[in-house]
Amino acid sequence: MDLSLETRQEGDRTLIEVGGEIDVYTAPKLRECISSLVDDGQSKLVIDLEQVEFMDSTGLGVLVGGLKRVRTVEGTLELVCTQERLLKIFRITGLSKVFLIHGSQSEALTAQ
Amino acid sequence: MGLATQTEGAVTIAIARDPALVRTARLVAAAVARRADRPDTVIEAARLAVGEACAVMIGVDEPVETAAADDRIEISLRAEMSRFVVTVRGRIAPADPSFEDIDLDPWTLLEGISDELTIESQDGVSTVRMTWPA
Repeated sequence: MDLSLETRQEGDRTLIEVGGEIDVYTAPKLRECISSLVDDGQSKLVIDLEQVEFMDSTGLGVLVGGLKRVRTVEGTLELVCTQERLLKIFRITGLSKVFLIHGSQSEALTAQ
Repeated sequence: MGLATQTEGAVTIAIARDPALVRTARLVAAAVARRADRPDTVIEAARLAVGEACAVMIGVDEPVETAAADDRIEISLRAEMSRFVVTVRGRIAPADPSFEDIDLDPWTLLEGISDELTIESQDGVSTVRMTWPA
């Protein structure tokens, strides 16, 4: 499966729902999406990975790059993920300490 | 229920340094592991390992069209009696600059998902070998 991206505003946050596979081929599409949103002034991002079926370090790189980008405009980038296969990747790379990972969209969207 | 392969034969594929082809390599890895009746954990690990190794070799910034025709990535999958072996051989691209600030080694993820990982480099080409118990 390719990569699907759906974005919508939820209060002061922008939610990006990602579906499919984030790999060396599709990751640039996610990078471009994040970059466009920040260029448009959206700096509080929530990326929902619940429908992601595969992610490698290229995907992690895009998320790290996105986090760096929003921080330059004093924004935030938080994740929604409960899939153990993905959480394991964050843990192995130590990125579970870098990202705030929520257990649900509602938790992410109401967090202070 | 699947019919396990009857031999310890290897499957070898070679792909151009094109990100669009990595998914195909992942699917082959999963199919070989599944056909060899390996547990789901090994199937998933093999899929991720092939994808990750190819991603590290292809990199994020290298234009596809600059790779020479014979500059390919070779993936070998071998279902032995006691283990499953994945070998990926190719030229490694420069590291993803996104990870510079956080000092993340490009092989960290592969190290974490493999039972055993070895990397050998010669003349600019690296061979990454990963194994999992059967």
